[in-house]
Amino acid sequence: MKPKHQFQAEHVVSGYEHRRVVHGVSLSIPSNRISVIIGANACGKSTLLKTMARLLKPESGRITLDGKSTDQYPPKQLARIVGLLPQSPIVPEGISVADLIGRGRFPHQTWLGGWTKKDYEAVAEAMEIMKITELANHNIDELSGGQRQRVWIAMALAQQTDILFLDEPTTFLDITYQVEILDLLTDLNRKHGTTIVMVLHDINLSARYADYIFALREGTLIAEGEPSKVISSDLIKDVFGLECTVISDPVSGSPLIVPIGRHHVNV
Amino acid sequence: MSKSLSLNEKPYGSPTPKHFTIVLILCLLALGLCVLASLAFGSRIIGFKELMDVLFNTSADSYDSDVIKQRMTRTVFSLLCGGALGIAGALMQAVTRNPIADPSILGVNTGASLFVVGGIAFFNIGTANEFILMACIGAAITAVFVLGVGSLGRGGPTPIKLVLAGAATSAALSSLVSAIMIPRSNVLDQVRRWQVGSVGGSSWSDIATFSPFLLIAILIAFLTAPALNALALGDETATGLGVRTGVLRLIASFAAVVLCGTITALAGPIGFVGLLATHLIRLMIGPDQRYLIPMSALAGAIVLTVSDVIGRILGRPGELEVAVVTAFVGAPILILLAMKSKVRTL
Amino acid sequence: MNTTINTIMSGRRKRRRRYVLITTILSIISLVLCGLMLYLGNTIYTVEQIVRVLTGEQIKGASFAIETIRLPRMLAGLFAGFAFGLAGSVFQTMLRNPLANPNVLGITSGSSVAAVFCIVILHSNEFVIFIASVIAGLATVTVLYLLSIRKSFSLGRLILIGIGLDAMLGSVIAYLLRISSEYDISKAYRWLSGSLNGAQMEELPPLIITVVLCTPIIILLGKHLSMLELGEQAATSLGVHTDKTRIALILGTVCMIAVATATTGPIAFVAFLAGPIASRLVGIGYSTAVPGGLVGVILVLASDLIGQFAFETKFPVGVITGILGAPYLIYLLIRMNRKGDF
Repeated sequence: MKPKHQFQAEHVVSGYEHRRVVHGVSLSIPSNRISVIIGANACGKSTLLKTMARLLKPESGRITLDGKSTDQYPPKQLARIVGLLPQSPIVPEGISVADLIGRGRFPHQTWLGGWTKKDYEAVAEAMEIMKITELANHNIDELSGGQRQRVWIAMALAQQTDILFLDEPTTFLDITYQVEILDLLTDLNRKHGTTIVMVLHDINLSARYADYIFALREGTLIAEGEPSKVISSDLIKDVFGLECTVISDPVSGSPLIVPIGRHHVNV
Repeated sequence: MSKSLSLNEKPYGSPTPKHFTIVLILCLLALGLCVLASLAFGSRIIGFKELMDVLFNTSADSYDSDVIKQRMTRTVFSLLCGGALGIAGALMQAVTRNPIADPSILGVNTGASLFVVGGIAFFNIGTANEFILMACIGAAITAVFVLGVGSLGRGGPTPIKLVLAGAATSAALSSLVSAIMIPRSNVLDQVRRWQVGSVGGSSWSDIATFSPFLLIAILIAFLTAPALNALALGDETATGLGVRTGVLRLIASFAAVVLCGTITALAGPIGFVGLLATHLIRLMIGPDQRYLIPMSALAGAIVLTVSDVIGRILGRPGELEVAVVTAFVGAPILILLAMKSKVRTL
Repeated sequence: MNTTINTIMSGRRKRRRRYVLITTILSIISLVLCGLMLYLGNTIYTVEQIVRVLTGEQIKGASFAIETIRLPRMLAGLFAGFAFGLAGSVFQTMLRNPLANPNVLGITSGSSVAAVFCIVILHSNEFVIFIASVIAGLATVTVLYLLSIRKSFSLGRLILIGIGLDAMLGSVIAYLLRISSEYDISKAYRWLSGSLNGAQMEELPPLIITVVLCTPIIILLGKHLSMLELGEQAATSLGVHTDKTRIALILGTVCMIAVATATTGPIAFVAFLAGPIASRLVGIGYSTAVPGGLVGVILVLASDLIGQFAFETKFPVGVITGILGAPYLIYLLIRMNRKGDF
């Protein structure tokens, strides 16, 4: 089981050159759980995630890991604790799956050394978790979108971090693959205790797979908690501006959003 | 739909641009100054008074008047060439719906050069008409090739694809030009013109050869201008407005290629004039092709003549080829366009 | 678990073997070409004579031909080719695009301007030329970088600006050549098209020293470079100092490019071709820096031999590489456009 970590954002203000997107968010990531950040488009959820994963420097406020600001860690040391799967990663053309996943071992390796036994084990384990062992020596160009996404997650897994950030890991995937990826991530969390923080688009899948939800609106945190406690038609109205009713998901018992809209309403 | 930088802002057949008259007057004034400067400057500088004396007192028969007569030829030639380059640039930009299209950036000039040099080396061509024929063939083949390569794939001919295809082709062709020229070092000076363009060696017969081509191209440009305005709105919209886009492209490109080929045959490859001229004008009067094309011709004439004067001043006692100067003053436009444009449109 | 490890291991071993094999073959070809550079010429000396000259013995005729003409020519080709090839492939990997190379981006032209200026105007010695061209190369990179950072970095913008800069700098070179005296022109002519003609022993130390110093640094940064390939975000989250890595790599490669350019002039397409050819040969996933350098050596030496001996007229090496390289560049463009890389 992965160790417990305290990962916190303290009054984080962040954004891009001339546009501030996150306006003072404070939160604490529940250790060894799956957290999902939800919100409408352009509400700052990806920006918040990137800031927490130190891809963006906060304008003010700080991100702390176990009480120490993350920018005080040497990058490689931090990369052994916190990993990130970017939204649109770049694939070096023609690389083999195993070699690509092996690049996730960078923070554990020396400048010139080759792969150690640990590296091989980590890559093999990551591939087994993502169920892509038979693709090991395939060329990445030959894979389908869903397979590629699993390779990318495997790379993040090979990094063997205790905390894993994922920026919309299911975008552009068919619903089948979306569920599959989320199932695999849940396996990872349940078996290894990896703390997972992700941004998801689909509110219903979020409600089902999240242990904990952070709801963002216009760069501020407006609600947080377990899905069953937080998600209500009022919150959805607040976050997305959508009228809906919330029922219980017949499969999982988690909250299920049913949008109302202007047509097809049987009163 | 891929939006070009600013070509598609005005609707089909809009009224006269706002500052058109002022811009026209300014351009004509500038043109007049250029002509005077071009007559006055060179390895020997002629004062204003002497210049006026010679110009309005035809009986004056001095050394100065000989110099001025010589400069008169190159001035007229550079005005015509510059105008033609301006039109060619505007046509190419309209046809490709792409703000960076310019005969030199697309490698068309180098293609024309290669064919002229190859023609001299292998087929012993020697007359101006033969040069022009070869140059036009070379320009046409290169244009088709570069546009073909640059239009492959998603999004059609985007600026970056065209520039790269043009730069690659141009580099390849200029290696070939060198390869043909090096073993013939005895004629190196004679053919050097087709490596770096210059208006220095022009004669009245060049002008006479060139004028009909220029006239035909101007005619085509004026006739196609309204349809090119429609093309700026996109192929589908243009078709909807009743434009046969394929035919239009063919005719307009033909005019542009003939202009480039003829200029390259007579003066050598001269780049960036069309780019600079069209963008200066577009900045001032907007994108309506009916005004843009003639004004670009005017601006092209100014740009080329000024560049030639600069080349003569900088290169004293000899002269610096005009193509060297136009590259230096024109290339920043490419840089500015790249800096200004959004990532998407590249 | 163990079977998975074994599969991965065998795959990696296979790829590793290929890498080593190809690198060895490339080294052997390079050596053979070096030998041919010494062997071929107006007079053919025996191998024994060549060895004796190289070990310091004085042989009438042979000593002059080999020591003052062929050896410097060979060394210039060897080190410049290696520098162009290695630096080119590092640039391509770093910017994740085969078309992004020091030639296209105007960096070579920047160095050339400084070198030509030093030669025709200041009549400086080799050392000054070397320093000036390195500084000019770095200055060009800086200008390029400053012009192309807008709100977000775009490779397309970088390339367009680079091509624009290249055109401007090219006209400055033409201007400098025009105002230089007849005597200097022949010396400066190599900046119009790279050439190994007239390479002299005294000119070589800066080039050799730079290559010997920069190569290990770049090899040492190989792993970091391969991380950059994954993109800014992934590299950062894997603990790479992306900015520092890039600056170190740019410093190293620009030094190599600048010095090589100052010695031989810009040899067309070598920096561009070496990387893609090398990665084709060794397979993906390995650093193409060293194989790229070797391919650069082979391209330069082979083209120079072709230019010297294949035709009645002697062609400078740059013309041959230009003609050989251009079709490949166009092929690559077509392939990239089809795939929609731009």
